Amino acid sequence: MTQSATLEPPLLALDGLGKRFGSLQALEGVSLGVRAGTVQCLLGENGAGKSTLCNLIFGVYEPSAGHMTFGGAPWAPASPAVALERGIAMVHQHFSLVPRMTVVENLMLGQVKGMLHRHEFGARIRDIAERFGFALDPDAVVGELSVGERQRAEIVKCLMRDPRLLVLDEPTAVLPPGEIGALLDICRRVADSGRAVILVTHKLAEIARVADRVAVLRGGRLVADEGMAGADMSTLVHAMVGREVKPLDVALAEPDGPAAGQPATGDAGGPRRFALVCDGLSVKDRHGAVRLDNLTLEIRPGEIVGLAGVEGNGQSELGMVLAGLLRPTEGRFYMGDVELTHAGAAAVTAAGGGIVPEDRHAVACVTAMSVAENMYLNKLGRFTRFGLLQRRALNAAAQAQMRTFDVRAASPEVAFSGLSGGNQQKAVLARELTLDPLVALVAAQPTRGLDVSAVEAVYRQIRAAARRGVGVLLISSELDELIAVADRIAVLYRGRLVGERPAEPAERAAIGALMSGQVVSGQSVSGHAA
Amino acid sequence: MEETLAIFIASTLRLGMPLMLAASGELVSERAGVLNLSLEGMMLTAAFFGALGSWATGNPYLGVSCAVLSALCVAAVQAWLSVDLRANQLVVGIGFNILALGATTLLYRIIFGGLSREEIPGLPKLAVDGLSNLPFAGTAFFQQSVIVYVGLALIVLIWVILNHTSFGLAVRAVGDEPLSADKAGIPVARTRRLAVLVAGVMAGLAGAFISIADIHTFTENMTNGAGYLALAAVIFGGWNIGRTIAACLLFGAATALQFQLPAMGIVVPTAFLLMLPYLLALLAVAGVVGRLEPPTALTLPFRRGK
Amino acid sequence: MTTTAILLALPDRRRWVGMAVPFIAVAGALAIGLVLIAASGKSVPDAIEAFLDGAFGTAFAVGASINRAVALSLVGLGFILAFRANLTNVGGEGQIAIGGIVATAIGLWPPIADLPLGLAVVLPLLGGTLGGALWGGIAGVMKVRFGTNEVISTLLLGFIALLLVYWCVQSTALLRQPQTSSATLPESLPIAESVKLPGLTGSPESPLHIGLVICLLLAVATAVVLQRSTFGLRLRAIGLNELAARRAGMPGGILLVVALALAGGFGGLAGAIMLQGEQYYLKTGFSSGYGFDGLVVGLLSRGSAVGVLAGALFFGFLRSGGISMEIMAGVPAALTLVIQGLIVIAVAGSVILVERLERGGR
Repeated sequence: MTQSATLEPPLLALDGLGKRFGSLQALEGVSLGVRAGTVQCLLGENGAGKSTLCNLIFGVYEPSAGHMTFGGAPWAPASPAVALERGIAMVHQHFSLVPRMTVVENLMLGQVKGMLHRHEFGARIRDIAERFGFALDPDAVVGELSVGERQRAEIVKCLMRDPRLLVLDEPTAVLPPGEIGALLDICRRVADSGRAVILVTHKLAEIARVADRVAVLRGGRLVADEGMAGADMSTLVHAMVGREVKPLDVALAEPDGPAAGQPATGDAGGPRRFALVCDGLSVKDRHGAVRLDNLTLEIRPGEIVGLAGVEGNGQSELGMVLAGLLRPTEGRFYMGDVELTHAGAAAVTAAGGGIVPEDRHAVACVTAMSVAENMYLNKLGRFTRFGLLQRRALNAAAQAQMRTFDVRAASPEVAFSGLSGGNQQKAVLARELTLDPLVALVAAQPTRGLDVSAVEAVYRQIRAAARRGVGVLLISSELDELIAVADRIAVLYRGRLVGERPAEPAERAAIGALMSGQVVSGQSVSGHAA
Repeated sequence: MEETLAIFIASTLRLGMPLMLAASGELVSERAGVLNLSLEGMMLTAAFFGALGSWATGNPYLGVSCAVLSALCVAAVQAWLSVDLRANQLVVGIGFNILALGATTLLYRIIFGGLSREEIPGLPKLAVDGLSNLPFAGTAFFQQSVIVYVGLALIVLIWVILNHTSFGLAVRAVGDEPLSADKAGIPVARTRRLAVLVAGVMAGLAGAFISIADIHTFTENMTNGAGYLALAAVIFGGWNIGRTIAACLLFGAATALQFQLPAMGIVVPTAFLLMLPYLLALLAVAGVVGRLEPPTALTLPFRRGK
Repeated sequence: MTTTAILLALPDRRRWVGMAVPFIAVAGALAIGLVLIAASGKSVPDAIEAFLDGAFGTAFAVGASINRAVALSLVGLGFILAFRANLTNVGGEGQIAIGGIVATAIGLWPPIADLPLGLAVVLPLLGGTLGGALWGGIAGVMKVRFGTNEVISTLLLGFIALLLVYWCVQSTALLRQPQTSSATLPESLPIAESVKLPGLTGSPESPLHIGLVICLLLAVATAVVLQRSTFGLRLRAIGLNELAARRAGMPGGILLVVALALAGGFGGLAGAIMLQGEQYYLKTGFSSGYGFDGLVVGLLSRGSAVGVLAGALFFGFLRSGGISMEIMAGVPAALTLVIQGLIVIAVAGSVILVERLERGGR
């Protein structure tokens, strides 16, 4: 890691930057300096404010407070186009490429007028790529490229504008582990060419190779800002994921049942049945990258098993497989004793699998339909007589359900989209928890975007379900929540189970280390509690 | 036998020509994401106003200009409705077809009254010196009307524009990923509008060909489904200009066979030959004849922030 | 397309406002039509009188108009059913044609005419419906298996079906009547009396047939299915969010195929009714644009069965009136086409006004 002249003023300086969206304070009091020739890492979980910060720098939004300077002059771009012209470029997480066109065509789009000279332009692309240490075939069709290659095309698109500052938003989130190294090398070279690089991410371990400085955002505030040289991994992870939710631990520690950690079925010598069994599940995506690697896990009835891991390590794929919406490339899974690997979503529901997916808008609910319709989407048959839907009964049942699960809405007939995130999540949870039979519950990132009281409510329901004998798989990147709720915690890293620890506060450091990819001694890779 | 073949080739070219002209223009529009069911209406309008212009001025070239202008007007309104007002492209297309049929029939009766089948000044057949006297190829290829040569040149031009200019690039981007194109600074609405106008110009030429160059008159509902055939050709051609032209020739050949086969004593139901283009297009979209993907944003209006 | 989805979720009051806008557009188009009539030198009052006379002046006129509306309604109803699942059926014209072919084939089969209990009427109707359903189902299967865009597939199937009619009436081996002379037209034989749809009114003056009853029954059924049935809710779910619907256990592929098959079936029924109720024999151009008009009716109805009926009545009367204007007042029938075209375009363009209304009202 190069030691740049610390006496130079920063290329980009943020001073007391704040941004408010209505009642939401997305950023507050962020002060940061980024120097030319360095790679600045910006760490933080979802919702911590990283994207907002980038959008402020790139001119998508205007700050509500504070100001920025770039290259010594005040920086307040009116739009991304202006920012691009003045020397800041951004590689977004979601590429804006046209899959059917070639790389050179994509890069010429909007940049070239008149006749296209593919050869010349292609040569320029090749040059830039070479300069920063990678190969890019200008004539390749983007749709056929791997994610990493597409990302490199986006990077070249930015570099062609000769920016002084390059911002990369979660570039490693979409990359399979094998391609991350290459990306980081590129970042290093860009920085070494005298530019500044801001690398936004929530994946920690790989960053250590390339970052000069690390800043951590949490809840819209900057909670850490240090040089990479002396940084401690675990501290950083903790700074990133630690929640200020002491009340959560207290609330969940209420003595309203058997203490967490004791499965309801007290079978001494090995359980008769498992609630959920994953056996060697592997998933490869369209480009052949491994997203899930030989995952084996067993959950007994009444157990709450936490699956910890920073997002993007295979959790989404696991969730989709268990929901019956994605076929694994290898392996099998069972709920109760029923094999459901290729059975489809309806069969999973019938076998007693409740799923609370991480992207509820895409998978769990139909936002335009009413609350009642959504809450009973998978049980409509119960309210059907002679083919007709008994709306009154449906609404009444939904009303009762809403009371039980504290879903707050004007009435069961309002559109689902009108509910707050917390109430939507409670509604989906209600639907899944009232499946009959309910054998296993898979909840992925169930508390994302929820306020504290909603979080408590969700976990209360989950623990109640576990007490009833449901086996729960809790997939989350909120380590504190997992420790408070789960019996044991397995860690998912790059699609593989890399270790398992009991869910106790003392284990936090070890679990955090496993989450960031470090090897911890004394780990047990089997699925059983110690 | 050779004579028959030569005539067959000439017929194929003649029947396929309006298809080629209309389809290549429609291809541009569809690549940009706008489906013009009104192609039939545009061609019919052009055929009528072309005939009218030619008859009124006595000059077939002015007639062709009228044809193209009238089709452009229809295309302009179609563009405004589909792109700016984000109206349902299918409904607008059907509406124009009905309107065109009614309007051209109405005006024809009013203006030409009882003078049905009035002969209008037609475009001369251009005999290319020397080449047209070749024994076989002469008859087959080189005794076509002026529009054919101009049309072919324009089709090549379209190919060049689509594949080698920034406008063509914009068209292709706008039809597949309008959001990405928008981010790259491409004016989505303007590009789509222009693409529809291109379709209009080519449809205008196609209509002019039918009334001025080919049949030298106007009859009610003259185009008789040629516009729909052109649409099918674009589909069967997989939205690729080379294959679309080939499809048009194929469809033209099928139509020519209608007359040729009986003359040769072969009995094939006419209906089957007429059906063949649509069957082929249907098989094509089912992926039977190779994987075909329409432009991703076809028929979908564009709204930023979606 | 999303407009309709949004409108379906709005409280009814705003929906009525939304429906008013198209009617204003229609009025505008009609006004232009009157101007054109005047410009063509015909007397406007005469034309209007002839129009009204032909549309609902006599019992015959009313009956004929309603019969036309029946066919249009059926196509429109089928359209909104499929549209509920976010599927656009553009193949109404072809589905009518298939319905006509099958109904003719069954109707001309000798044993049919002597069947008791009205089976002579029912069987061809059923056959036509099934034929249309099959035709629509093909597009559905193509969508599920190959991901084929149903706009394209139903459109192409439509043209193929129209040419199938042509084929059938060209060949005596198929449905063409025996050629007794060179002047024998390429048409089928007429169906027997017992196959024809019985009239509704006793009087021979009104051609109104039981197609109206069938249509009203199906309209009610469609409204019930869309608003009240679980199946309708499932169609809506599949149309709005296929992934979530499948997650909730709904059989996505089957629902899509059934939706398009239903739309096709309605079209086929319309074709059978047109054959057995008015035309009595099959010929080229049998569907005479009813498929496309029905599509327009369906789209303009904004998903409401009542809207379909209203729109269908309007277009049905428009057609009848137009024919009468030609005969009585010398106004070319082509003018009716012009007005119809203008109306369609005007309404299509007015959608954005409706959208602005919604957004402004939120």
